[in-house]
Amino acid sequence: MLSMFKGLVGSKSISTDDMQPALDKLRDHLITKNVATDIAQKLCESVASKLEGKVLGTFDTIATTVKTTLNDSLVQILSPKRRIDILRDCLEAKKNRRPYVMTFCGVNGVGKSTNLAKICFWLIENNLNVLIAACDTFRAGAVEQLRTHCRHLNSLHPKEKHNGREMVQLYEKGYGKDAAGIAMEAIRFAKDSGIDIVLVDTAGRMQDNEPLMRALAKLIKINEPDLVLFVGEALVGNEAVDQLVKFNQALADYSSMDNPHVIDGIVLTKFDTIDDKVGAAISMTYITGQPIVFVGTGQTYTDLKALNARAVVHALMK
Amino acid sequence: MVLADLGRKITTALHSLSKATIINEEVLNAMLKEICTALLEADCNIRLVKQLRENVKAVIDFEEMAGGLNKRRMIQSAVFKELVKLVDSGVKPYQPVKGRPNIIMFVGLQGSGKTTTCTKLAYYYQKKNWKSCLVCADTFRAGAYDQIKQNATKARIPFYGSYTEVDPVVIAQEGVEMFKKEGFEFIIVDTSGRHKQEESLFEEMLAVANAVNPDNIIFVMDATIGQACEAQSRAFKEKVNVGSVIITKLDGHAKGGGALSAVAATKSPIIFIGTGEHIDDLEPFKTKPFISKLLGMGDIEGLIDK
Ligand SMILES: Nc1nc2c(ncn2[C@@H]2O[C@H](COP(=O)(O)OP(=O)(O)OP(=O)(O)O)[C@@H](O)[C@H]2O)c(=O)[nH]1
Ligand SMILES: Nc1nc2c(ncn2[C@@H]2O[C@H](COP(=O)(O)OP(=O)(O)OP(=O)(O)O)[C@@H](O)[C@H]2O)c(=O)[nH]1
Ligand SMILES: [Mg+2]
Ligand SMILES: [Mg+2]
Repeated sequence: MLSMFKGLVGSKSISTDDMQPALDKLRDHLITKNVATDIAQKLCESVASKLEGKVLGTFDTIATTVKTTLNDSLVQILSPKRRIDILRDCLEAKKNRRPYVMTFCGVNGVGKSTNLAKICFWLIENNLNVLIAACDTFRAGAVEQLRTHCRHLNSLHPKEKHNGREMVQLYEKGYGKDAAGIAMEAIRFAKDSGIDIVLVDTAGRMQDNEPLMRALAKLIKINEPDLVLFVGEALVGNEAVDQLVKFNQALADYSSMDNPHVIDGIVLTKFDTIDDKVGAAISMTYITGQPIVFVGTGQTYTDLKALNARAVVHALMK
Repeated sequence: MVLADLGRKITTALHSLSKATIINEEVLNAMLKEICTALLEADCNIRLVKQLRENVKAVIDFEEMAGGLNKRRMIQSAVFKELVKLVDSGVKPYQPVKGRPNIIMFVGLQGSGKTTTCTKLAYYYQKKNWKSCLVCADTFRAGAYDQIKQNATKARIPFYGSYTEVDPVVIAQEGVEMFKKEGFEFIIVDTSGRHKQEESLFEEMLAVANAVNPDNIIFVMDATIGQACEAQSRAFKEKVNVGSVIITKLDGHAKGGGALSAVAATKSPIIFIGTGEHIDDLEPFKTKPFISKLLGMGDIEGLIDK
């Protein structure tokens, strides 16, 4: 990848013009890896500012400078500014005799319900019990999808292994009802029954669909979940930027609160379908500054990983 | 409108030619850069974009050409030709024949919109008085059969599936046989989402295709996809005989450029686009009128055929 900077070896100080062809190639390289165009451009600018005016006699020094600059920028983008420790926070909530509530949102078909089920499995494995709130009351089969997951999960972790306690239950009110209301009832039910965690599934929605975005903002405003997770698929291209900007904006604008609850973290799904085109991880974290809390790597319950930032950077630099 | 933003940018770039007093290599490069950036922002496959740039450049020889008008026309028509190539596979889509069973199989990546689009398409033909029906050969996804069942019931479309049979090949075969016997004309087989990295899923797709021997295999692609589209689409085409493409979720903000590489990779035409979650959010797609509308041009064919 770095050979594109070969032309810059020489004795005079490097100008932006000198760099342009190499920067264009670098940008294209990042786009090939599915980094959004704007963000690829900005990354190139950060490389340019490190090189400009420098006298770098050998290719080695140029290559090292480019590599370090890019590497540092990427690692910085991917490094969480804030740690999210779900298990610790769940136990904290448990101590206070209230359920820990997580809401999943995102556009259609990205893997919200499936990754909610995977996270549920992980929580159960950590001996926490869960209530799933079926707040997608629109898409055909959405409720039955969650019911099937509950059945599978309970058969993997039968009551007998957990002191007679059913580890996951479904709270559903069928279709066509107000999602925010169902979430509220579910949280109350969990509190009354001493359930540790509530996972709120929501319907997929396009970020430009105002009525649906308002409904999501309402759900979050009145239920005050502990964690709002945005689910985005690794397949997404430039849209990653628009999705995140507009979800955050809608949560802020439509909640009419001084301190609105926006996206806390990201679930990056379908990471097993993109080979080395890992750019969406960069686009999503760059835009929100929020961490990728989970990575979905397949369609079974164990296909849930933590982000390996070094591997992502490595794939991008290759 | 779909890709409208892109269309506007390209038209603006082309207009820069009319404004320039002399058209030289610099003007051409600047225009091409603008067009290519717009295409990349819309997620078009980067290799196809580079090819477009090279192909347009190859047509224009500044030394040999005189006269500004001629250059302008040549450049414009070269750009049009290349854009058409992006969207147009040059292949005629499968035409279902009334009065006999037409078996249509849906394939695609996970969550691309197959199941939703199956019902939309069955409904589209049903409204045109075709006897249409649905077979649910997705035994993997939780709630898949309920999804089809609820959709089909609402639209009064006959459907076939099973809660207990785990082999999609068996269901597909039984369902298609049954509907054929009953004289259905438009038999749609929905399948699970899959991706090229999991070979067993691709083998399963081939097995279903071999069992039902479809007249057309429709590849469903999500409009928000980025650079991963090409490799996935190519792999689907290499495994089964994809004949058409449907691009979904074009009601959002997505410009859909990424999904276009499915056209090149599968050498198959787009036949419909999905523009919402409701059953009638499906529009037939015709390539050439689409492009001329996109670029605000009356007669592209005229330009291209010269
Ligand atoms: N390969 C792969 N497939 C996944 C992953 N996560 C989810 N899927 C698949 O993606 C498809 C859609 O998943 P869902 O969980 O139904 O998506 P959703 O966001 O809830 O969809 P809507 O509720 O309809 O908006 C299913 O076929 C899942 O099995 C993943 O990490 N890898
Ligand atoms: N906005 C919008 N949503 C759509 C469109 N087509 C499908 N969807 C939504 O996308 C999500 C996934 O659709 P499905 O039909 O379940 O996708 P699938 O390809 O069958 O998914 P798997 O079977 O899990 O691979 C659902 O929420 C649909 O409502 C469309 O054109 N516009
Ligand atoms: Mg869902
Ligand atoms: Mg489906």
